[in-house]
Amino acid sequence: MRGRALQVNYDYVFPFAAIIGQEKAKKALLLNLINPKIGGVLLSGEKGTAKSTLVRGMAVLMKGMKVINLPLNTTEDRLIGTIDIEKTITQGRRSFQPGILKEAHGNILYVDEVNLLSEHLVNCILQVASSGLNKVEREGISVVHPCQFVLVGTMNPEEGNIRSQFLDRFGLFVEIKGCEDLYERKEIIKRRLEYERSPLDFIEKWRLETDVLSQQIKAAKKYLSKVQVSDNVMKLAAELAKEANCAGHRAELVIIETARAIAAYEKRSNISVGHIKEAAEYTLPHRKREKTTKQELPPETPEMEEQKESNEQQSKQPEEYEPSDQAEQEEESEAEQQEDPNTLEPKQQEDGNSEVKDKKEENDEMSIDQIDDIGRTFIVKNLDIKAIDRKKRKGEGKRIRTKTDAKKGQYIRYKIPKNKLQDIAFDATLRAAAPYQAIREKKGLAITIDNSDFREKVREKRTGSTIIFIVDASGSMGAKKRMSAVKGAIVSLLTDAYQKRDKVGLIAFRKKEADVLLNITRSVDMAEKCLKTLPTGGKTPLSAGLFKGYEVIRTAQKKNPDMLPIIVLVSDGRTNASINGGDPFEEAMEIAKKIRMEGIRSIVVDTEQGFIKLGIAKDIANALGALYCKLEELEGEQLAEAVRQCAIDCNY
Amino acid sequence: MKNAKTVYPFTAIVGQEKMKKALILNVINPLLGGVLIKGEKGTAKSTAVRALAELLPERTQVEGCIFGCDPYDKSGMCITCLKKLEVNVKLNEVKGKMKVVDLPISATEDRVVGTLDIEYAIKKGEKKFEPGILAQANRNILYVDEVNLLDDHIVDVLLDSAAMGVNTIEREGVSFSHPARFILVGTMNPEEGDLRPQLLDRFCMVVNVTGERESEKRMEVIKNRLEFEKDSEAFAKKWKSKQQELRNRIKKAQELLHEVTYDDSILEMAARTSIEMEVDGHRADIAMIKTAMTIAAFNGRNKVLNSDLLEAAELVLPHRMRRTPFEEGIFNMSRVENVIGQTHQG
Repeated sequence: MRGRALQVNYDYVFPFAAIIGQEKAKKALLLNLINPKIGGVLLSGEKGTAKSTLVRGMAVLMKGMKVINLPLNTTEDRLIGTIDIEKTITQGRRSFQPGILKEAHGNILYVDEVNLLSEHLVNCILQVASSGLNKVEREGISVVHPCQFVLVGTMNPEEGNIRSQFLDRFGLFVEIKGCEDLYERKEIIKRRLEYERSPLDFIEKWRLETDVLSQQIKAAKKYLSKVQVSDNVMKLAAELAKEANCAGHRAELVIIETARAIAAYEKRSNISVGHIKEAAEYTLPHRKREKTTKQELPPETPEMEEQKESNEQQSKQPEEYEPSDQAEQEEESEAEQQEDPNTLEPKQQEDGNSEVKDKKEENDEMSIDQIDDIGRTFIVKNLDIKAIDRKKRKGEGKRIRTKTDAKKGQYIRYKIPKNKLQDIAFDATLRAAAPYQAIREKKGLAITIDNSDFREKVREKRTGSTIIFIVDASGSMGAKKRMSAVKGAIVSLLTDAYQKRDKVGLIAFRKKEADVLLNITRSVDMAEKCLKTLPTGGKTPLSAGLFKGYEVIRTAQKKNPDMLPIIVLVSDGRTNASINGGDPFEEAMEIAKKIRMEGIRSIVVDTEQGFIKLGIAKDIANALGALYCKLEELEGEQLAEAVRQCAIDCNY
Repeated sequence: MKNAKTVYPFTAIVGQEKMKKALILNVINPLLGGVLIKGEKGTAKSTAVRALAELLPERTQVEGCIFGCDPYDKSGMCITCLKKLEVNVKLNEVKGKMKVVDLPISATEDRVVGTLDIEYAIKKGEKKFEPGILAQANRNILYVDEVNLLDDHIVDVLLDSAAMGVNTIEREGVSFSHPARFILVGTMNPEEGDLRPQLLDRFCMVVNVTGERESEKRMEVIKNRLEFEKDSEAFAKKWKSKQQELRNRIKKAQELLHEVTYDDSILEMAARTSIEMEVDGHRADIAMIKTAMTIAAFNGRNKVLNSDLLEAAELVLPHRMRRTPFEEGIFNMSRVENVIGQTHQG
């Protein structure tokens, strides 16, 4: 089975011509067939919208161009190619067994669920895509072969995003939606059922349409060289790319190539303004960036890393904030009187669906518990970067990938074992042993394996982080529906955690102690239920809360040393109860420092409101080494990303 | 497979009608796309799936083919069988039973997708593909207990194969692909965390099970169970005729399924329902019709009625509602009824 990509049932796929709607996606794919220089297309859309069907259908349209499938669980050796064991053993000479990239040359490389592709494989692809060459230097093999392909990917954005550098490699981008038209929907069902009943008959029925389409592509392909690119067209493309603030020059090049394909498709030898505009619609969406204000830099590409670092440094210097007087804090924290109603950010509340129970304003230190409803929730946007961390970060992505030592996770490549061999990579071991078989003594077997041949698996596992929410549920939080807003914010974060398969835990502190409302679980739903019924009232034992969080993480770490714990502290920091009866603030600071020493990352969400701000939460944040942000700043913005960033930092 | 131990008879499971129905429908029509059973511990979820094995019908398959290819379906054939056909080698047919293939959550990826046959490689110095669980699962039921606890990368693989009906292996020096069309049956306890929406969508239906509330039914559950544990064979004998009855019904429904037709109005209702309920994509529409057709066949009809569609909607739609993870109960059956009722009159 060597060297052959056996593509079972690709000949029996749902015919491209029979797919209803999705005109943009269809056109983008066709344009790539006409002009492979466009460099591919990324189809992004919700599940069940014929994304994969489109790509697979396209494979049949072009003779001489194949769709090479790159499965998610591909290992490195199969991607780039490696030593051919059989030949090496039988002939005693090292020979090369080409990988997927070799097959993909001149063809279409298709990755379904491309956003889930292993980071390592993405890097390999990027390297090859930028040089157009696949350089194989491994296992004593040294081969270079040209490798240019049309990269086609499909993804469901719900499952996570793609890093921008990889994104840029896709020439075009199309967002796919299901169609809403009743007639079309009916037709979709009908055709699908007909196809399923008898694939062969259905394909036969659409043969004519399929052939016509194939002919069109063929004709357009021929016509392509006749299409002229004038200076004006180039200028327009460059202007559009500039306006969209794209990084690099790929955008305008792709616009021009796309416009050429469109013109060729329409059998015109000149590119019109319309063509360019149409091309831009496909080319710019995923490359567009906001004008460069500091926090809206696009996701990092290596070249930008430096730039960003300097940005961060600048941003760190002006601390807009003077920590306030300690003495004042003590008194103030007891009474929670907000004089100025305007300081409560109206944002959180004005939108209609915050069903806050009407309740009397309880304006003093409460002994009565109250339960606030969950306030307005929002989607925590994926902000690209924020000046959060000091360290240079190498990783990116929604889910964090860790290299695991445990025998779990996806096998992506091999390494030479350092200590005792634990997780043997048989294939790599065999490959290492293969060249020496001619000279080794064999004991009736085909292969003798030497100690030096052993190779170990390198596995990659996507781990979500473990986020412990430590929530202040003291009386002060009950004032002015503050808790309602806090709950809204936490639920938003939980929603985000859910999508990324993070684990969550929930701790609340109030009165004299901290309670673990929810031990670490994957069930984000449960966390939400706990939160719903969380009452507020009583004193603020901040230190107890922090300590509890610390304890929970320590226990969990014993079970799973791989976990990436993150503490999210939601409080105004106005602590007034200690565990040991000492100074509550000092105690909280102590514990905070301890948490920092343990390398646990944290985020402090300051809920302080009112005219007079004490900024105690900020002090705590400093002691924790935490990212600090105010509740009001949270919406649609950075927190979720901050959580992720935190995790990445402790990982690398 | 050796099944020396007697399995609890499917028909002896008390209550849980919806779950039983969903499982049976999938057996009748393997193209439906599986079922996810959600429920607390001890609600006969696993028992039902395991019991299903007994009811599974026979079908023809290519003799000696590890993938159990259908000799009459070229579109879903493995490469070995295809090649034989190409050179006009006759494919011998044998009768084989559909199986329930287990995917334990501890399964490693190489076992799931298949890998390099080490023994063969060492002995012969040649590479050979060693098929994994997905190969076994072709044309069978793939059962994942606690599916929500499955490792992410295994889920990805499952999604890939489920979507294409093909398992493509490009790993550990092996390049191979084979058909992997399976009925995905999962059970899970929602307390342990939820499933990714993408995987959820792959299940044609989702059924929620709860323990029986009536004490009479509960007593029956206990009684049956005790009886089974005391003498499982005698118990099985007692239910034999019921089992056979259901088996026959399934078989009849399978034959009838090819003849089931539907009116245009049914199609329209399905599409309208999906639009009204704002579900993602088109999978729901297609699943609804297919399920309704299967229900009709199960009921011995060759025509889809509105009531079939309504029943199908209840199985197919709830987990496909566009929603944020925490909003519960947006699924409102009366809205579906409205659509289906309305279009009916008009």
